[in-house]
Amino acid sequence: MKEQKKYFKSPYLKGNEDFLHKEFSDKLPVDHFLADQKENNYGTSRRDFLKFLGFSTAAAVLSSCESPIQKSVPYLNQPEEIIPGVANFYASTYYQENTFASILVKTREGRPISVSANKDYEKITSHSGGLNSRAYASVLSLYDSNRLKSPLKNNNEVSWDELDNEVIKSLNQISKTKNKIVYLSPTIISPSHKKILESFQKKYNNLEVVYYDPISKSAIIEANKSCFGESFIPTYNFDKAKVVVSFEADFLGDWLDASHGRKYSSRRNPGTNMSKHYQFESLLTLTGSNSDKRVPVNPDEQLKYLMYIFSKLSMTKQEVVIENLNHKAILDNICKELQENQGESLVISGSSDPQNQIIVNAINYLLDNYSKTIDYNNKSNLYSGVNSIFKRFLDDVEANKVGALIINDLNIIYNVPQLRDKLNNIKLKVQITDSKNETSKYMDFVCPKSHFLESWGDANPYTAIYAIQQPTINPLFNSRESEQILLKWSGYEESYYNYLKTFYKNMSFKKSWNKILHDGYCEIDYKRNDYIFSSKVAKDITKNYNPSQSNKNDTFLVLYSKISMGQGYQSNNPWLQELPDPVTKVTWDNYLTINPVHAKKLGLKNWHVSNGALNGDVVLIKMGEKSIKAPVYIQPGQKQNVLGLCFGYGRTEAGKVASGVGVNAFEIHDNFNLVQKNNFSITKVEGVEHEFACTQNSHTMMGRSIVKETTLNEYLKNPKSGNEDFKLESYKGKVSPSELNLYQEWEPSVHFWNMSIDLSKCHGCGACVIACHAENNVPVVGKEEVRKNRDMHWLRIDRYYSSDMTKDLAEEKGIGAIEMYKMMEEPASEENLEVVFQPVMCQHCNQAPCENVCPVAATTHSNEGLNQMTYNRCIGTRYCMNNCPYKVRRFNWFNYKDNDNFDFNMNDDLGKMVLNPDVTVRARGVMEKCSMCIQNIQKTKLDAKRERRKVRDGEVSIACETACDTGAIVFGDALDSNSRISKEKKHPRTYALLEELNTQPSVFYKTKVRNKNKINKNV
Amino acid sequence: MYRSPVREPLITGNKDLHDITVDIARPIETSANKWWWSLFIVSAIAMLWGFGCIAYTIGTGVGVWGLNNTIGWAWDITNFVWWVGIGHAGTLISAVLLLFRQNWRLSINRTSEAMTIFAVMQAGLFPLIHMGRLWVGFWVFPLPNQYGPLWVNFNSPLLWDVFAISTYFSVSLVFWYMGLIPDFAMIRDRAIKPITKKIYSFLSFGWSGRAKHWQRHEVMSLVLAGLCTPLVLSVHSIVSMDFATSVIPGWHTTIFPPYFVAGAIFGGFAMCQTLLLIARKVVNLEDYITMTHIEYMNIIILVTGSIVGCAYITELFIAWYSGVEFEQYAFLNRATGPYWWAYWAMMTCNVISPQLMWFKKLRRNILFTFIIALFVHIGMWFERFVIIVTSLHRDFLPSSWSMFSPTFVDLGIFIGTIGFFLVLFLIYARTFPVIAQAELKTIVKTKSSKYNKNKNGE
Repeated sequence: MKEQKKYFKSPYLKGNEDFLHKEFSDKLPVDHFLADQKENNYGTSRRDFLKFLGFSTAAAVLSSCESPIQKSVPYLNQPEEIIPGVANFYASTYYQENTFASILVKTREGRPISVSANKDYEKITSHSGGLNSRAYASVLSLYDSNRLKSPLKNNNEVSWDELDNEVIKSLNQISKTKNKIVYLSPTIISPSHKKILESFQKKYNNLEVVYYDPISKSAIIEANKSCFGESFIPTYNFDKAKVVVSFEADFLGDWLDASHGRKYSSRRNPGTNMSKHYQFESLLTLTGSNSDKRVPVNPDEQLKYLMYIFSKLSMTKQEVVIENLNHKAILDNICKELQENQGESLVISGSSDPQNQIIVNAINYLLDNYSKTIDYNNKSNLYSGVNSIFKRFLDDVEANKVGALIINDLNIIYNVPQLRDKLNNIKLKVQITDSKNETSKYMDFVCPKSHFLESWGDANPYTAIYAIQQPTINPLFNSRESEQILLKWSGYEESYYNYLKTFYKNMSFKKSWNKILHDGYCEIDYKRNDYIFSSKVAKDITKNYNPSQSNKNDTFLVLYSKISMGQGYQSNNPWLQELPDPVTKVTWDNYLTINPVHAKKLGLKNWHVSNGALNGDVVLIKMGEKSIKAPVYIQPGQKQNVLGLCFGYGRTEAGKVASGVGVNAFEIHDNFNLVQKNNFSITKVEGVEHEFACTQNSHTMMGRSIVKETTLNEYLKNPKSGNEDFKLESYKGKVSPSELNLYQEWEPSVHFWNMSIDLSKCHGCGACVIACHAENNVPVVGKEEVRKNRDMHWLRIDRYYSSDMTKDLAEEKGIGAIEMYKMMEEPASEENLEVVFQPVMCQHCNQAPCENVCPVAATTHSNEGLNQMTYNRCIGTRYCMNNCPYKVRRFNWFNYKDNDNFDFNMNDDLGKMVLNPDVTVRARGVMEKCSMCIQNIQKTKLDAKRERRKVRDGEVSIACETACDTGAIVFGDALDSNSRISKEKKHPRTYALLEELNTQPSVFYKTKVRNKNKINKNV
Repeated sequence: MYRSPVREPLITGNKDLHDITVDIARPIETSANKWWWSLFIVSAIAMLWGFGCIAYTIGTGVGVWGLNNTIGWAWDITNFVWWVGIGHAGTLISAVLLLFRQNWRLSINRTSEAMTIFAVMQAGLFPLIHMGRLWVGFWVFPLPNQYGPLWVNFNSPLLWDVFAISTYFSVSLVFWYMGLIPDFAMIRDRAIKPITKKIYSFLSFGWSGRAKHWQRHEVMSLVLAGLCTPLVLSVHSIVSMDFATSVIPGWHTTIFPPYFVAGAIFGGFAMCQTLLLIARKVVNLEDYITMTHIEYMNIIILVTGSIVGCAYITELFIAWYSGVEFEQYAFLNRATGPYWWAYWAMMTCNVISPQLMWFKKLRRNILFTFIIALFVHIGMWFERFVIIVTSLHRDFLPSSWSMFSPTFVDLGIFIGTIGFFLVLFLIYARTFPVIAQAELKTIVKTKSSKYNKNKNGE
């Protein structure tokens, strides 16, 4: 068509076609098909007329076919702070399962869609965020369709008024009797909650508050009581410890405080300041996997080793003799190092025996660690439950002394199954819970508790910290905060919000209420007293110590909790169910872990079926009258004669996700002991096999250079050790792979987004995996699909065991290649086993094998160095997936949303509220993969553009980088020479995964450095 | 006219020109026997079952197959390559052997070309249904659009495949049809029923048998043969590039194009052999497809089988010689890993079994030939399975190593294509002149036993 006249449009256009800010850089090639050049000169031709006629007729016909209309209702009065498309962030507090974290909640159009660490809190206070995978996943629990929607009386819906009246009436009656009213709760760290309880106690003076922590830290509390005369738990400063000796304490996993990981890793930078970490443990834990030296030991030997260290440290001149002591050389070495680092060392124990904890205290006291690596003034309030008090409560129930039981936020029947038949004696049973669970059906009244993202609240997790929880959404259902319920029952008509506000105004903090609310926390000065340590207790123990004759046939059952499932509070959260266990890589299950030699002795097996999935034998664990059936998982590295079983599974009434998954370890949590000795038997259940869903079925690196590793000594001598330049033989001589390039070199233009992952700092905890799920709408596919190796994780954490066979060894011994590789597949024996973790996501190769092979150019390279996946263009040939050497591409085998076969959060309207509106929900048949959170990159770029400045380093928030508590992941623009990533890129430890392929990834790794003397070449 | 004193006649049973016409027209003019019907029904059921499985796949998702994150292709592409390979013999026989003036091709070229076309149809199904979103599959064609530079990716071997396969299919079809025209005319001329006459006169495009027609026909055949010959080499070379241009150890191999072409001819001749052995019995073509034909084909199977064997050994040698860790492991894993049985099935069927053809007695034994041909099918199927699945299942990072197990849908679709192939072939056998009689008649004077009596002294 001919443009006949030009009308004024803008001053830029005058004499200059190339005006600023135009939408398309090139003209749309419309003219080419509408008319040819020749006819252009004659205005609209006859042919053009006919084309337009035809086109408009067709368009008119087509437009008369109506497509389905979905009407959206706009705000009548738009809230001031909500701009559609722009996220709001609120500081708040996470406290569940004895885990505290100061968080930042991201909301879009009024609904919370993800949580992340409150970075200000981390920067300003000496505490760290401590968000584990459970905290990241907690936002999905808000949208759990299993949540309680209204108050219940005898399992029938009632109104709050009715419930309040009846409960108050009963409480009044009972308070007049001799019987107690018991308020049973996990540790409460909310000062206002405690204050309300006080007034509640005033109203009903026979009220007793009992704290029960399903996995209690009672031993530490009791030991401190003996040593310091006060019941408390101190905070541990791993960042100040140069030598860490841990006995069975999985402090990077689920021991005591989720914030340990960050502090610990701050001392894991290879250099003269790097800490040394010894781990004595019976199971293979996340912490043991990350240690410099891991010693597999029997759980009951712990006291012996502690005693040896204690004696050796206290009696420097004398020779300490303890019979049947194993690992003497290591222990002597530890003692030497501890003494050299007095005040900079830390000895901890995960034992539930107060004796062991007392010796640990004594050792730390001898080493002058108190007030240095252990802060006894800044106490941790996260665990207050003491076993003896809870046992007294159980006796009371037995003795019919309890008239009313109010259970706050606990699933007591799941945690303490023996209570099941004893509750009948109690007249009034009330549960405050966010979803119906195993306990609810035994209750007279069930009160729906608001999710923490809907609630007001506060927390005093450590002496120095006060934190506020603010709601980020109105309660979705007819629920209340526990505090509000108690206020009501204590006769207050005031709302909890007002109560809280007044409470904090009266506290006279430096920060104003609004400031605390904005920051999410307030740090206070606390008194620093000197405690008097009584070493007498420890000496008594030493004096009376009579090393029990350990029998070779002793068997132990160690109950543990893992980082993704904890006590099972959030087990109905499909993200957490599908998050692989960091060490075993098993999803959707718990199982009895067993040493390979032990398993062989008992005739127990694991085997792979034809599609590669793992199956295992099932055993019956009998303990007294109780018995449970559990599948067996053979765990290399675990101590012989020790079995492990994880808490948090075996829910029966958890909802559609968790019910029927795994077995309940609380059933055999006998006497609240984490270690059960000889009081159980296991027998193989014949004819039953269990199907596991593992995300990784080959466990060793097969002698390949995948995770590069070196020792600290080697590293200090040569920073490139373990990461020697890779050279290929070629006609030019030895050259680096990038010199042999068939393709044109790709050059970044504006930005060059790179990522660095420090393998020395990555613990493999999996928080990044969950954060990625939340950010990128990654679907949950369920056990059956994971079992078929079709998990959708955009980011996976590979875990490799070391092997006893190496190429050097094979050469030395003259072992052939076939035999060698066969032996390499086997993980090392328990004493020698080492573990490494490697997060792998799309490597964003700049010479990407996937980009070449896509027939329709659905995966292409951006000019900022990212490998982009265009879902709309994808036809699903899966060629890219095959050709990806890192195997990071994920295919939508089915429709994962609105599909009853995948009945997880994306199959109900409530669960879908968690979806990030910035990210497409992928359709069936398309390929997907890590996009480097392109939506956040774009947003940051636009922000910068609007403010007419460059993108700042660290400004782009990438889900995995933000989630990584230890700072292992660094992301940024490599074209910015001052950015962190530019420095990382030049670091001598930096290497590209599979660099021999010359894919030139934008993601690179940093060599793992272990603080040990000798290198095991084939980790 | 020259008659070879030593070569055996290519047409036995004292046939003259009229006999040939009658023999070739007989299956079309008579009704089918019990054998035909029972085979047809079985094949049709298999075909429908396969169609059901395909519908299920398209309706539910590719997830109903046994694939996973590590193994993105398995039976689908195995079957694709297997069928494409089978489709090779036809063109080779009709085009290459035409250019080399091999007259023995005349009795078998029609059927082998039909086999080619039917096999390529089966092959073409797999790239279609293996797509996650079949409904947008047309994007693989470089269609003009309004989105500016949105175009197909000419770097992708999968795109080359699209062109290669579609070209091959269309040229083969035209070539086949060219040959069919005089034969259809022959049937038209003999037809008595009006509908049959209508159909065949339509199909024969008004062929009158004039000299000018014959001349054009001959020229066209020659031109198409010339076009087809490079295609014989190109199609499977390009199919092999799907693998050869990738980075996966076991795929990334420069030997692939010739090795695949040899393998394809090997597999294609075996399928030809299988079909012809059945056809000559069922429609009484013993006089046209003689022991000589069978022996010649066996010799080709022997030769190409040996080439394939050499290729296998070269691969192993290069893996060792390259010194590349991943490559070495990939081949060790093929022979000794979890899929060792597939590798050794391939080795036995493809390398060892054809070597028995060195014995003249064996290669002139019909039952033995038939069994070896079946062995070759199995072997060639496993060759593709070994290349695709065992290379993918253990590649670079052991963390993503996996295994493949087919589902009933995988199996159903494979059996379905066999059924579909047989259905087409059985219909062809009753409605098409199964031997290129017009061309065959050109050698009656020289190669028929009636006129060439010096071998047996008849």
